[in-house]
Amino acid sequence: MMLWRRFASNRFALVCMIVIVLGLYVTGIFAPLLSPYVPTAQNLDAVAQGPSIAHWLGTDELGRDLLSRIIWGARTAAIVSIVAVSLSTIIGVVLGALSGYLGGWFDTLIMRVSDILFAFPSLLFVIFIAATVKPSAVRFVEQMEIAWGMRGLARSGIIDYFVVFTALSVIAWPGMARLIRGQVLSVKRMEYVAAAESIGASTYRIIFRHVLPNCLSPVLVAVSMGLGGAVMSESVLSYLGVGIQPPNASWGAMIWENSGEWRLHPHLIFIPGAVVAIVIFCFNFIGDGLNDALNPRNR
Amino acid sequence: MAPLLSVRDLKTYFRTPDGVVHAVDGVSFDLAAGERLGIVGESGCGKSVTALSLMRLIPQPPGRIVGGEVTFDGMDLLALDEEEVRSVRGNKIAMIFQDPMTSLNPVLTIRRQLSEGLELHKGMSRSQARRHSIELLRMVGIPSPESRVDDYPHQFSGGMRQRVMIAMALSCDPQVLLADEPTTALDVTIQAQILDLVKRLCVERRTAVILITHDLGVLAGMTDRLAVMYAGRIVETAPTAELYENPKHPYTIALMKSVPRLDEERREKLFVIDGLPPDLIDPPKGCRFAPRCFAVIDKCWEEMPELMRVTEGHNAACWVDVSKGRS
Repeated sequence: MMLWRRFASNRFALVCMIVIVLGLYVTGIFAPLLSPYVPTAQNLDAVAQGPSIAHWLGTDELGRDLLSRIIWGARTAAIVSIVAVSLSTIIGVVLGALSGYLGGWFDTLIMRVSDILFAFPSLLFVIFIAATVKPSAVRFVEQMEIAWGMRGLARSGIIDYFVVFTALSVIAWPGMARLIRGQVLSVKRMEYVAAAESIGASTYRIIFRHVLPNCLSPVLVAVSMGLGGAVMSESVLSYLGVGIQPPNASWGAMIWENSGEWRLHPHLIFIPGAVVAIVIFCFNFIGDGLNDALNPRNR
Repeated sequence: MAPLLSVRDLKTYFRTPDGVVHAVDGVSFDLAAGERLGIVGESGCGKSVTALSLMRLIPQPPGRIVGGEVTFDGMDLLALDEEEVRSVRGNKIAMIFQDPMTSLNPVLTIRRQLSEGLELHKGMSRSQARRHSIELLRMVGIPSPESRVDDYPHQFSGGMRQRVMIAMALSCDPQVLLADEPTTALDVTIQAQILDLVKRLCVERRTAVILITHDLGVLAGMTDRLAVMYAGRIVETAPTAELYENPKHPYTIALMKSVPRLDEERREKLFVIDGLPPDLIDPPKGCRFAPRCFAVIDKCWEEMPELMRVTEGHNAACWVDVSKGRS
């Protein structure tokens, strides 16, 4: 509660939070209700138009309503950011906490693996994962369809989402693990940890009940920044053609689809680009606001 | 009657980049049920390490209990596996730490921390543990415990927190309470209250206490028996009154002399023991106090004295009988 009041006292961060919650998540959840057109419906009588009353943000080369595609793109961004960040946070927090508390060979193993992941250029690594995981994921789902007599799953684009989740989680968890490990290393020397040991609590109880809750404030900041980063990475992947595939809507894919038109209809690129920029900008400011609210020196 | 807790030749060493530190090097003592034993000595003499060794809480590495025997209630504590040790910690042997400001977890309510031992060892449900926690807080003299039990540690003062720590340590009715300088971080008036509380509760419940401190004044009224530690060894042990009246070991004598007293005429300077405690990485061959001793003889440099009987229950580890006049 104290935290919320301190956070809300920073008006700008609060505005950013409202923009994100309404503009990204609420819009994402209610995309089917909010979008005026079906995002994949092509209207070849109204191709590449500027903004009008019928199409507030105009239409793209195939005559699809840009506003509807932006709204459905929000759904993609919302799902990808939440799932990818949740996965990487859970993996990172658990591995980082165990690594910091237990030390020894486990710590060495986790830290060397994260060193290796850090050493790759992350974008290249994500592309590599996305490109290598997808064919086997498709094969797997096709086998599943044959085995269970289902249809259409492999073609529906769900696999693209899983590929993006996997790729983003794999590169994001080491950062989270390092952050938590550092926190745990300082918290585990506190006397209340010794006190918990002296009362007979088990190692896992101490890690998850006594140590972790004392390490979570930087995680909150990192999660907020990470959500923005995930939106960015998803756009990049889709722009490069290894993320969400057309006709499913993604802001990055929209920039790529319309890049042939940028001289004639710059709004087709400018609008999705601006939306991505605003979202990341807001996430970063929320992160800053949280950081200020959590930092004990500012209290 | 067999003692409740019996420590024989306990050795705890720490490996450091400079060499192996012999922090506790051959400590032996007995503790009877309900007895209150004080361990006194200067900083770094191994008091706290002794207590942590009994709980098997030595951080490992760098520390290691390399030898000795700790028998508690018929069990060899040093031979138990991790899980068996946990069933003793907090349940049979509990500990109060030095600094109440840092030994309570800031993000958990008092109730959660008090319930921990009750749920683990007594198998209480959440609501039972809560009721019992309120009783414990009332027992240690916290006003309106029904509402305070859901507060966080930062809402308590230092003295109150130490009361909570005492409640936590006594929650499962342990047979032995280890109090590692429980009042060092508190101011003097609170110190007296806390010590009275510990003494009263332990007498009521017949809990044996090992009180560790460097404050001789604290021990006088609190303990039945004292053990004086120097450089990782016990150099003298005697019933409290006997030790104050008739100290035998030169270190004990010097220690008593260096306590400032209010009932004595003011001296120009306080008495000090010259020199520093020995390096515990490479301790001297003979008596460890020899370099600072006022009664040192040749034998002291050659051979380490073991605890020798002075009178019944009074043992000192010294080659010289100081009272027979030789200085």
